[in-house]
Amino acid sequence: MKGPFLRSPQSTRGLMIQVLIAATPALIAAVVRLGAPAAAMIVSAVAGAVAIEALVHRRQLGDGSAVVSGVIVVLLLPATTPPWLAALAGATAIGLGKAPWGGLGKNPFNPAALARAVLMVVLPAHFFAPMWRWDAVTAASPLSKEVGATAPGWSALILGDVPGCVGQAAPWTIVLGGLILVVLRTIDWRVPLAYLSTIALIAVVLPGGARVAGHAPWLIGDPSIHLFAGGTLIAAFFLLTDPVTAPMSATARVGFAAVAATATMAIRQFTPYPDGAVLAVLVANACTPWFDRVTVERRITPPRAKRSRG
Amino acid sequence: MSKLGERLATLLGLSAPVPTRKYTRDAAIVVLPPPAQVRLALTGLEAVVAAGDEVAAHALVARSVPGARWQRRIHTPLGGRVESIAGAVVVRGAPTSAAAAAVHRDPATLDRDAIVTAARDAGIVGLGGGMFPTYAKLTATHPIDTVLVNGCESEPYFTCDHRVLAEHRDEVECGMALAVRAVGATSSAVIDREDYYPAGYERFVVRDRLGREVPPRHLPRDVGALVLNVQSARALHRAVCLGEPLVSRVITVAGGAIARPGNYQVLIGTAVDEVLAACGADATSAAMIIAGGPMMGHQISAGDTIAAGTGGLLAMTAAEVAARVEQPCIRCGRCVDACPVGLPVPLLIERPGPDVLTCFGCGACQYVCPSAIPLAALMRAASAREIRWD
Repeated sequence: MKGPFLRSPQSTRGLMIQVLIAATPALIAAVVRLGAPAAAMIVSAVAGAVAIEALVHRRQLGDGSAVVSGVIVVLLLPATTPPWLAALAGATAIGLGKAPWGGLGKNPFNPAALARAVLMVVLPAHFFAPMWRWDAVTAASPLSKEVGATAPGWSALILGDVPGCVGQAAPWTIVLGGLILVVLRTIDWRVPLAYLSTIALIAVVLPGGARVAGHAPWLIGDPSIHLFAGGTLIAAFFLLTDPVTAPMSATARVGFAAVAATATMAIRQFTPYPDGAVLAVLVANACTPWFDRVTVERRITPPRAKRSRG
Repeated sequence: MSKLGERLATLLGLSAPVPTRKYTRDAAIVVLPPPAQVRLALTGLEAVVAAGDEVAAHALVARSVPGARWQRRIHTPLGGRVESIAGAVVVRGAPTSAAAAAVHRDPATLDRDAIVTAARDAGIVGLGGGMFPTYAKLTATHPIDTVLVNGCESEPYFTCDHRVLAEHRDEVECGMALAVRAVGATSSAVIDREDYYPAGYERFVVRDRLGREVPPRHLPRDVGALVLNVQSARALHRAVCLGEPLVSRVITVAGGAIARPGNYQVLIGTAVDEVLAACGADATSAAMIIAGGPMMGHQISAGDTIAAGTGGLLAMTAAEVAARVEQPCIRCGRCVDACPVGLPVPLLIERPGPDVLTCFGCGACQYVCPSAIPLAALMRAASAREIRWD
């Protein structure tokens, strides 16, 4: 038997556990702010994801990736989501986002982002109607184009006094979790850095004339809302960093994150959807094979042409 | 690099992924007492002694078969009686036998032919593991301007070359000067950077020091460089100046099952179990014995012997070499980032092409794979297929 006989301590299962640890502060913040309904959502979504995984890939259950998908999909759901919908989201993540593609490592799109996007289309009432609710107060996302929404300050954005999805309960907990992942080297630090800096750059340089009618005027020239509201931080640290759906080479991942940032800002600027992050993740995921082709696959020398005789 | 800087680099992912664990850096070289017998393998060689012969220590016992491309010679480290020449020359030692008196030659008086002849007659080979005859490197017809002595011991655990440099630098530098004379080089240097794995790969030594890329399927000599292992350079000095053939080397003995890890000078041909016993190996906790480094070495059995290219022995506990269950690839790209020659490892395994021949088996990809996929073994298989097809 030949070497190497040593192995990095980092295992696939370990990576999943690290993601769960990193998501824990955000989950705690959600339960603190929303109470029992949030806990019910987390349990239902994880149960939905694990149930489908057990049905389809029983032997892969131990790697923990189904639990991760269940937890991340909760972060993307509106605060008013009933438990049955959370369970459906978890089940969709695995049942549509992962299992049909052949299980772990084979899916082209991030399962949680795909589930959230599909349900948003299928059940729009639950995603747009009473929008977001904190402390029994219904309000619009600062990213929404409705008249009447107001511009929050920096502290409100970071501490989470801004309507949004479950993962928005306290944005600083997402940043904390992301830093945990960077320090543990679970994720590539280039991805969140490239994504967030591109978003900030676009927000600053975006010309006022490009905005659509009814667009909240405070979104022009101010990167803070774009960075902290909506799913920006969740996408930066938990969705785009999914190894399965991101390009394989480090340089390609920077371009991939920039594509996601551009798509996020384009959706926010030119469509009626308040938040583009989740859809932008899917757009970037779709570009991954291309990124792999122009970076990693390009390094392959084509087989030598057969020498002709004579 | 400072400890803090190293940690920061690791944190930011700027450092190489394979750790350089060096537990025996400060362990001075200990000369192990000679074994009762030595066993010298005869691969591609024919014995010049017969069973029953009495031989003196350092006597020639085997040489290349006539018509071989390179002349190899093996000398016995022990004086005594030849027990067998079937597959290997086995010499049982006689305690009274002494080696021939050392000669003392001044390197400054020697010309190129004298150096090359002495290296050839002493059977000096590459002690970094390649075991290519050193005299053949010294007679290269390519113009060579730089001689580099490779002390980049980047394999984890290994410190024997570092100790040889620390304790016998004069001998190493004399060997380097001899090589410079032999090939007519104009510059030389001892390189001992160990800041990343695999810094000791010959091509990387040339690239890092001289900024010259050795193209695939070429050798350092094709870009005007000669790379000698630290211990080969020392052996060259001892052969040329003292008339001593290659009969011993310094190895690192380490691993969790070793009570006294360290750097030991051993006679070539010593049985592995004798070396391990002398270092206090615990036979019950040793799950695997590795000849060579933990990255590029191979598993051996206790009955095998130390060869010239054996840089060390590792007696690893089960916990140190624990196998993990292989899991599906999650496309994380850690293998691609880790590959020191930038190979798209998973794609090449799927569709092997000529690029697999660039892989030199450092194992970094397999080390970093969180899914425990045996990437190095798969790359070896792909290379074997490619060579056959070629």
